[in-house]
Amino acid sequence: MQEEIIAASSLCVRLNNQTILDNVNFNVAKGEIFALLGGNGAGKSTTLKTLLGIVPPSEGSAAVMNKSVKTDIDFIRSKVAYLPESVMLYGHLTGVENIEYFLSLADITCSESDIERALVRVALQEKAWRQPMSNYSKGMRQKAAIALALLRDAPILFLDEPTSGLDPNAIDEFNQLIATLAAEGTTVFMVTHDVYGACQIAHRIGLLDHGKVVGMFERGDQSHINTEEVHSAFSKRNKR
Amino acid sequence: MKAITKVARDEWRFWHRTKLAATIIVIGTILTIASAVINTIKMQEAMHERQHLQQSSEAQFLDQPDRHPHRMVHYGHYVFRTPSTLSIIEPGVDAFTGTAVFLEGHRQNSAMFAEQRQASGMTRFSSLTPSFLLQVLVPLFIILIGYGSVTREKEAGTINIMVTQGFNVWYLILGKYIALVACALLMLLPLIVAAIWATFNGESALITSSFVSGYIFYILVWSGIVLAVSTLSSKNSTSFASLVAIWIMLCILIPRIGSSSAAALAPTAGKLEADFSVLEELRKLGDGHNATDPAFEQLKKNLLVKYNVDSVEDLPINFRGTVAQYSEEKLTIVLNQFAEKRMIEELSQAKIARQLGWLTPTTALRSFSMTVSGTSLETHHRFLREAEQLRYDFVQSLNNAHQNILSYQADINRHKDNAAARVSADNWQVLSSFSFKPDTAQTRLTRSLVYGGQLLFWLVVVLVVLRFAVRRVR
Ligand SMILES: Nc1ncnc2c1ncn2[C@@H]1O[C@H](COP(=O)(O)OP(=O)(O)OP(=O)(O)O)[C@@H](O)[C@H]1O
Ligand SMILES: [Mg+2]
Repeated sequence: MQEEIIAASSLCVRLNNQTILDNVNFNVAKGEIFALLGGNGAGKSTTLKTLLGIVPPSEGSAAVMNKSVKTDIDFIRSKVAYLPESVMLYGHLTGVENIEYFLSLADITCSESDIERALVRVALQEKAWRQPMSNYSKGMRQKAAIALALLRDAPILFLDEPTSGLDPNAIDEFNQLIATLAAEGTTVFMVTHDVYGACQIAHRIGLLDHGKVVGMFERGDQSHINTEEVHSAFSKRNKR
Repeated sequence: MKAITKVARDEWRFWHRTKLAATIIVIGTILTIASAVINTIKMQEAMHERQHLQQSSEAQFLDQPDRHPHRMVHYGHYVFRTPSTLSIIEPGVDAFTGTAVFLEGHRQNSAMFAEQRQASGMTRFSSLTPSFLLQVLVPLFIILIGYGSVTREKEAGTINIMVTQGFNVWYLILGKYIALVACALLMLLPLIVAAIWATFNGESALITSSFVSGYIFYILVWSGIVLAVSTLSSKNSTSFASLVAIWIMLCILIPRIGSSSAAALAPTAGKLEADFSVLEELRKLGDGHNATDPAFEQLKKNLLVKYNVDSVEDLPINFRGTVAQYSEEKLTIVLNQFAEKRMIEELSQAKIARQLGWLTPTTALRSFSMTVSGTSLETHHRFLREAEQLRYDFVQSLNNAHQNILSYQADINRHKDNAAARVSADNWQVLSSFSFKPDTAQTRLTRSLVYGGQLLFWLVVVLVVLRFAVRRVR
């Protein structure tokens, strides 16, 4: 068994007397791409936030690199690059300025060519680099935010709907990028609605419904997870 | 530290690039500068007019020809209070009480019969004095600039990026706090210039620096309130609504409730009522113009015995002058009693209202600003007392001339032979030139200590709340 990077066991989260996560169990190994699927309001983002100490667990445990979110959150945060759901960087700054600024807050100094290289990787068109982000389209903003997460150069990536807003080409390129990173040893935990894309790149897929893990799909010896199978499980759950 | 300045610098960059915030800063600064300039011009004009009037009224008095001395008693004289240098920013009670008093015989000016309700309340939105702007509108500008400083990050999700990057929330909040304070301090610029000007115009540096410090504290308090609320709120709109509600409470309602409840707790008789009871007391004293008034019978007897004569005609002094002097003395005692009572009531009202500084920083700053600049009720009362002393002295000197220089015979025959019933104009040199000195720096600072304490209390409260707010950000 490979080194275990992320682990949740009997994890429960309650907010305002409402059970958001109900006895969730999973673990993610080093270099693995784990995708969490589920309908709106299933608790996917909450799972990520719990692993990052933004939302406290009510019961059970959540750990990253064998450190508990309750006790070693600073350590965990230093190892994770997080792409929040529908994040908007500062509209008053350009793409480059935004990345520079947020990296500097994390005490990372990055040369401008590093930033430009990252922007090329996420395929943000060059003429937008030095325009205020208030002029960006949704997908362009998403690309800049992904570039920021990549530049953190963290061993673990938490991505909340990274491909939302991206055009099909950009999604393909992004999936390629994630696969490459994982092959290099980066652990990826991503939340997505893109069943097809997830099946292409993920090693494992967890299906979340009303705060419960209701399905776990693995690649096995295939080159990718069976899309039909995941899709039918997903839509069966969603119809109820 | 570097992280904090990074955040502060970005906040400035944000205000600079989003035109709205920049506009508010510019409007706020221009408004304060304009009102300070207008107020300064008004004060300069008033000062010239006052100097002119003071000289001319004094010269006119002295230029009066030979006359019956009692006519001079009624001719009267104006005295003026030179406003404190800092009143170009903080006019204080001057706006309600006026700075001129007419002095004449048998009367005390009515400037002291001012309603405290007007003096401590925020009843005058119309007069945009610099102090009003700084105390009431600058907090609103701080709100407009800063309400979204943290909620903006929450709505955009950037605060999550920062937090999960391990960035200390305190650095974020402190950086934004520093930026907001620096920005609000821009609006204090006219105040600082005025304070420097006042220092070069004879005001103690201790006073002007305390004055400025008071306003800086106020800015620190309000910036803290704005940031704490923004940190505690999850949305821009909630933050803005809460802050506007807080502003209405702290800047408008409580100061206003304060002055009205002070009036209820320590009521002063209205002007009319007071005047009636004064008149009643005075009636008992007799009419000083009428030497045959039974009220002066005892005085007459005593004098006849003293000089060992049988009738007032044989007295070596003018009995009518003696009566005038005697009755002025008695009357002044009564008037002073009423005036003192009145001033004590006014002051206790003001002091009750100032206690509300523990409930709102606006009242705390207002009290501090007025006591330090020397435009508070205390200073005005001292002026009234000094003016009254001057009035009494000048009336009694004239009455003294009446008694000792004008003969009794000439006096009672004044209707037949007007020319004989006069004394030389040399006797009009009774006006001691009046100059009202501001309270010493020490007096004013001692007086303002409590209110400085209130401001400090507010700063501590706000910082504690801010700390609490930061802890809730995860
Ligand atoms: N701070 C909160 N307080 C109370 N309830 C919350 C809070 N945050 C989320 N929830 C609730 O938790 C549930 C799960 O929310 P979550 O954001 O995790 O869903 P999701 O699976 O990410 O959905 P989506 O696909 O729409 O992003 C929802 O019902 C939501 O209303
Ligand atoms: Mg979500």
